Amino acid sequence: MIFNQIFDAINIGLVILDRDLKVQKWNRWMEVHSGIPEAKIIGSSIFETFPNLDNPKFHRSCKSVFSFGNFCFFSQKLHHYLFPFKSTSYFESLFEYMQQSCAIGPLRDENNVIQNLFIYVQDVTEVAVYEHKLVEMNLKDGLTGIFNRRYMDVKIREEFGRCKRYGGELSIIMFDIDFFKKVNDVYGHQCGDFILKSVSSRISSIIRNVDYLFRYGGEEFCCMLPETKLDGALQAADRFRTAIMEMESNFDNSIIKITVSLGVAGLDDCISSAETFIKKADEALYRAKREGRNRVMQMSLENA
Amino acid sequence: MQEEKILSDEEIEILQEIMNISFGKSAADLADVIDTHVVLSVPFIRIMQVPELPTYFREHVKEYKTISIVEQKFWGRFKGDALLVFSSGAGRELINMLQHDTRPGFESDPIDILERETLMEVGNILIGACVGKLAELLRDVVTYTPPMVVVERDYSNAVTESRYDPDNTAIVLKTDFCFDEGDVSGFLFLITSNDSVTWMKEALRLFIEQYE
Repeated sequence: MIFNQIFDAINIGLVILDRDLKVQKWNRWMEVHSGIPEAKIIGSSIFETFPNLDNPKFHRSCKSVFSFGNFCFFSQKLHHYLFPFKSTSYFESLFEYMQQSCAIGPLRDENNVIQNLFIYVQDVTEVAVYEHKLVEMNLKDGLTGIFNRRYMDVKIREEFGRCKRYGGELSIIMFDIDFFKKVNDVYGHQCGDFILKSVSSRISSIIRNVDYLFRYGGEEFCCMLPETKLDGALQAADRFRTAIMEMESNFDNSIIKITVSLGVAGLDDCISSAETFIKKADEALYRAKREGRNRVMQMSLENA
Repeated sequence: MQEEKILSDEEIEILQEIMNISFGKSAADLADVIDTHVVLSVPFIRIMQVPELPTYFREHVKEYKTISIVEQKFWGRFKGDALLVFSSGAGRELINMLQHDTRPGFESDPIDILERETLMEVGNILIGACVGKLAELLRDVVTYTPPMVVVERDYSNAVTESRYDPDNTAIVLKTDFCFDEGDVSGFLFLITSNDSVTWMKEALRLFIEQYE
């Protein structure tokens, strides 16, 4: 009697299934979030209402609980949810469904035989949202929304190491907005920010899914192109150059046109570290600046 | 000398036999649950003082470069700590074997989360199978804490004696396991202590009685 009240009052979903995985109990919380009254679901197979559970991991877990009497855990990180319930929090834009942390455990009869199992469901949507935001803040540049310098260091070193170990091509393009200081001086820093955002989104729209675009700092950017040789990267760099040159940014009714200078480096045997690799591209970028801007230069190939 | 007292040779022999039977059953049921055959070696029982544990542990895992550990506490009348030690690279092998078809939601979620979760799932089942069957034969029912996972670490400080009461005696039940497919192997250590001994002696006596 008392336990029944707790069963319905608790702010956690509780479900009891029998050995055929038919619903025996369905608490108030489950009723509220699923919109399915207990009377309606009781006695029916859980898969009838939730076909998404009809998967190997869920079957494996139930079998394990019945065979060994252990607990099986479904973390939010890997599974997101067991029961697709509409999210009730204010974060619906990030998650379509309520994020859940769930576990399955055994229920024994008076002879210690496992006749049923229970599933508990905890709503962890809010925590998942905070975590997601923290991860984002750690990887992305606040202004432009592209990856930040910190992530660039990690990612390029990682990819560099992978290519050195297993082989494969890798190129990077460093580029910089020409006369960016003038934009700031003439139109103000807000306009400067606007230009940085425009460049980021224009370049993001023309790179491949596998490429990474980073803000290196100030008005300097870096694009990493996995599985791409120097030739291919030079072509990509020229597409960047043309796209930015043709871009017209409208800020406060002024049409602003800018150009970028680009330096390209492709991985070869002479380059021994990720730092040297970046430096190679950076040197090429400065040559592009010196030779008149709005152009693409490739790294010098002698003595790396 | 105290070691001799805690369980007699005969009791150890019975326990060994019980583990043999129960792990045999676990292996059979495991094949059904995770669709792959797990070979569990004849279990080995050592009784030692807690301060000897770290050295003992290190001796056993020293040929692995890195290890992953799944740890779970279990408690019934039979209670203690289960440590499942996987060889390096086991997580990735297991991901392939279990064919987790769904990648986690966000692109930025790194593979090591998947690896962690897979180790946790398999570890949880493996520990549950071994501890559960053993408890069942000894007519006990145990519950478990959620498993904790340490992925791909250097082994040297995996088990420190500070984790256990140094005055305690540890009963270490060890079995080697390897999976039929894939290159996955490791050890399972069940570490239980004085607290379970009185009950265990009684349970062993009852077990043998049914055959007499």
